[in-house]
Amino acid sequence: MSNSRLILAACATVLLATACRPDPPPPDPMPPTGPTAEELERMRQDSIRAAEEAARLERERMEREAEAARERAAAAARRTLMETVYFDYDEAAIRPDTEERLRAKLEILRDNPGVSMRMEGHADERGTSEYNFALGNDRAESVIRFLTGFGLDMGRFSSVSYGEERPVAQGSTEGAWAQNRRVEFVITAGGNNLGR
Amino acid sequence: MTRGGARMLAGIATLAASFMVSAAGSAAQEEEAAIPGVSLGFVFEGERIPPIAIRPFAGGGPASEIASIIATDLDYSDRFFVRDSLPAGVDTDGIQYSLWDQYGVDWLLTGSVESEDGVAFLAVELHDIVFTSIRSRARFPIPPRGHEGFRLAVHRVSDAVVEWVHGEPGMAASRIVFSMRPFGNPDSKELYVVDSDGEGLRRATWDDDLAVTPAWAPDGMHIAYTSYKSGLPRIYEMNLVDGSERTVEGGAADGQQFSPAYHPDGDRIAFWTLEGGGTKGISTYNIRDGCCLTRLIGGYYQNIQPSYSRDGSKLVFLSNRLGSQTPQIYVMPGEGGDAELLSPYRYGQGGYFADPDWSPTADKVAFAGGIVDRRVYNQYHIFVRDIETPDNRIVRLTSEGNNEDPSWAPDGRHLVFAGARSYGYGVFVVDTATGRTRLLVAGVRAADTDWSPRLSWRGDGVATGGTGLEPEPGDSR
Repeated sequence: MSNSRLILAACATVLLATACRPDPPPPDPMPPTGPTAEELERMRQDSIRAAEEAARLERERMEREAEAARERAAAAARRTLMETVYFDYDEAAIRPDTEERLRAKLEILRDNPGVSMRMEGHADERGTSEYNFALGNDRAESVIRFLTGFGLDMGRFSSVSYGEERPVAQGSTEGAWAQNRRVEFVITAGGNNLGR
Repeated sequence: MTRGGARMLAGIATLAASFMVSAAGSAAQEEEAAIPGVSLGFVFEGERIPPIAIRPFAGGGPASEIASIIATDLDYSDRFFVRDSLPAGVDTDGIQYSLWDQYGVDWLLTGSVESEDGVAFLAVELHDIVFTSIRSRARFPIPPRGHEGFRLAVHRVSDAVVEWVHGEPGMAASRIVFSMRPFGNPDSKELYVVDSDGEGLRRATWDDDLAVTPAWAPDGMHIAYTSYKSGLPRIYEMNLVDGSERTVEGGAADGQQFSPAYHPDGDRIAFWTLEGGGTKGISTYNIRDGCCLTRLIGGYYQNIQPSYSRDGSKLVFLSNRLGSQTPQIYVMPGEGGDAELLSPYRYGQGGYFADPDWSPTADKVAFAGGIVDRRVYNQYHIFVRDIETPDNRIVRLTSEGNNEDPSWAPDGRHLVFAGARSYGYGVFVVDTATGRTRLLVAGVRAADTDWSPRLSWRGDGVATGGTGLEPEPGDSR
């Protein structure tokens, strides 16, 4: 309470001091020096042009970013579509991790009905080379069956088997075999306009 | 006792291998014991192998090379024991039977290269040392050395010698086709052809893609196979003489076609297809007339790898109808029908049997496989099931590595197969009567072996162009 009273007293002192100062002399009379009507009009036009230019640049920036975002999304969609899926030894059954990847593909395939794909089935080196052609195709067909089971058109998919002839990993270890038991995906149509 | 008596006793005596696999390691033994119908590994018929000597051929020029080719052929026939070091002071004119008798051979082959009107002939005589007489003699036209028909013509002589003694010709005049990775191209496989003695390896396709599952036509002039060169695996038949090509018409546009097998009539092929929507199965097609695509067997399960019996009345094939991981071999009528299990299967045990091939001379089926532990590699072996024996006896012919794709030689006695060993891949030949095995050719990822019928050079020893794969007249395979 005593603090606020002190501040009020200080203010009153300042106000009195100001009131005691003499008036300044009046300024000399000057002719009016503002822009002419033409100048004003030019400035107005300039400001409009500047605003339009700024708006255009912003629009282009936004379009570029939207396009980049679309491309990022399309690239992500393409990556998702082309992500390889894997299988157990001598099995064409869909494993949980494979199902997860196929469900991600399913979303994209639903949103992009123009996309067609080829499923390329592979097998590891175990077993006879010829049976592995059949096994690789069983895997490709298993993937197609999964997708068409959700209502996608069978006509969008084709399959080819490479058996054990195109391994991605060399060597006779479980690690190499696991990488080779797979279905790879090739987009055969509609891959340029992927969207969500 | 005379050696005549010895030879007569030979059919009774069992001198050759009659060994069992029990000493070959416990793992193999357990695997064997697990296959019903397979007693124990190798049990070969006893057979006395008659010794033969080849006297240096007269006539100079290619004579010594010809004799050397024949010596190797007779050795590889597994029907003779070839004495390769001859006694000093060997007779060069006339036959001193007593000398050769002392040397311990049953047979002596003599020969000379003769020229008649610019054409070379090989005249050979087969002497029966035991009965001191000439068993057979014949003259064979031989193209000049270096000519591509030269070795084939000499192989024909070897096969004739086998026939003179054993009543059925050998398999020297034949070739083997197989697939192999060409050097520097890890993504492709091409077809290669090699003579039965491992000579003359040459490339047969330049598809620059996967060329697999070849089959030699009964006429010896065509090879049908699967190539990915169009983007999809499709069957092509190449004419080895004029280079022309045929395809299977009328199938599904997206159809994948594998593993052609010729009907003994040489016109039809059986093969297996994979089509869109999961449609698949074994079909036949008349590749000569280009017609009549017929589905023999279809269904949900895989039915693949057909092979015709020698008269075409039956078809042996692989099916996984018992479940994945248990492909088994079945037999059905050649025109389709009910299938019976042929491979040794016991409920609950699994087992993996594949690559069936029906013998061209008997009711025997060779196949690959075994009781397979999924964690173990290198467990596929070559088996032969003899359907003519009452107990459907099964013999195992390999003891190491991983073995696939057995195919019968035209003699119905030898098998060629693709084998993986710790030291690499190769094409091997095994004699089903003695178990003797030799490496035919080493190759990266060699597979899909198929043995040709008997082949002969066209014309009278004169170059006729082409590849010279003319069938022997009356050859039934």
